[in-house]
Amino acid sequence: MKRDLMDILACPMCKGDLELTVEEENDEIITGTLYCAKCDERYPIEDGIPNLLPPDLRE
Amino acid sequence: MIGYGNKKIWVLPGVYKPAEDSFLMVEAVLKELRPSDRVLEIGAGSGIVSAFIKDRASVIAIDISPCAVKCAKLNGIDVIRADLFDGIKGRFDLIVFNPPYLPSGEKIGDWLDFAWDGGEDGQATINRFLRQVKDCLTENGRFLLLVSSLSGVDAIMERMTSLGFIVEELLSERYFFERLVVLRGRMKE
Repeated sequence: MKRDLMDILACPMCKGDLELTVEEENDEIITGTLYCAKCDERYPIEDGIPNLLPPDLRE
Repeated sequence: MIGYGNKKIWVLPGVYKPAEDSFLMVEAVLKELRPSDRVLEIGAGSGIVSAFIKDRASVIAIDISPCAVKCAKLNGIDVIRADLFDGIKGRFDLIVFNPPYLPSGEKIGDWLDFAWDGGEDGQATINRFLRQVKDCLTENGRFLLLVSSLSGVDAIMERMTSLGFIVEELLSERYFFERLVVLRGRMKE
């Protein structure tokens, strides 16, 4: 995902802001984590795709 | 892979293969789109509609299916895996949704069910969308919603009106067993 996607991503549970941690990046972010401090929940970024499903819907 | 217009679109296993409804939505979007629009596509599937938008405006796509988001990404679309608007904030000038609209029947038991199963009356996901879309539109924002005679066009138009939207039929086409309509909704001035 492109970095500027952060402007529109929100925690699916509280709609709050997310903290980005990047593990792999070339021209875009390939692998990383989006963290919601309020819900203490982490959302993965894999293969360049952020997964914003709540934990119970995530595979 | 399928071809439509000047595009070749990859369709991975488990992803809705673009059909008449997808093509009607492409035509409707091309009619409606302004270059300055910031666009959001919900339920993007293979990403075919976003692929056409991308040539003319900025677009972000969302889908709930892991197969669909991989496929849309492969087709060059910026994509998020989420349930409708749940993973996003902010407002868009144009929101596009070709929803699962068929009344529930026998489920296949995989992610493709999410592409067509609209609940008992075919309107469950559409109703969830309509309740949330207002909060994601800019002041003069519009949304395009594809509906079928199989799930009841009039009922959905009435619901949109009761939620305060100005509703118009942007495009429609009759097929063997259904009529497909792209509705345009926008807020009253």
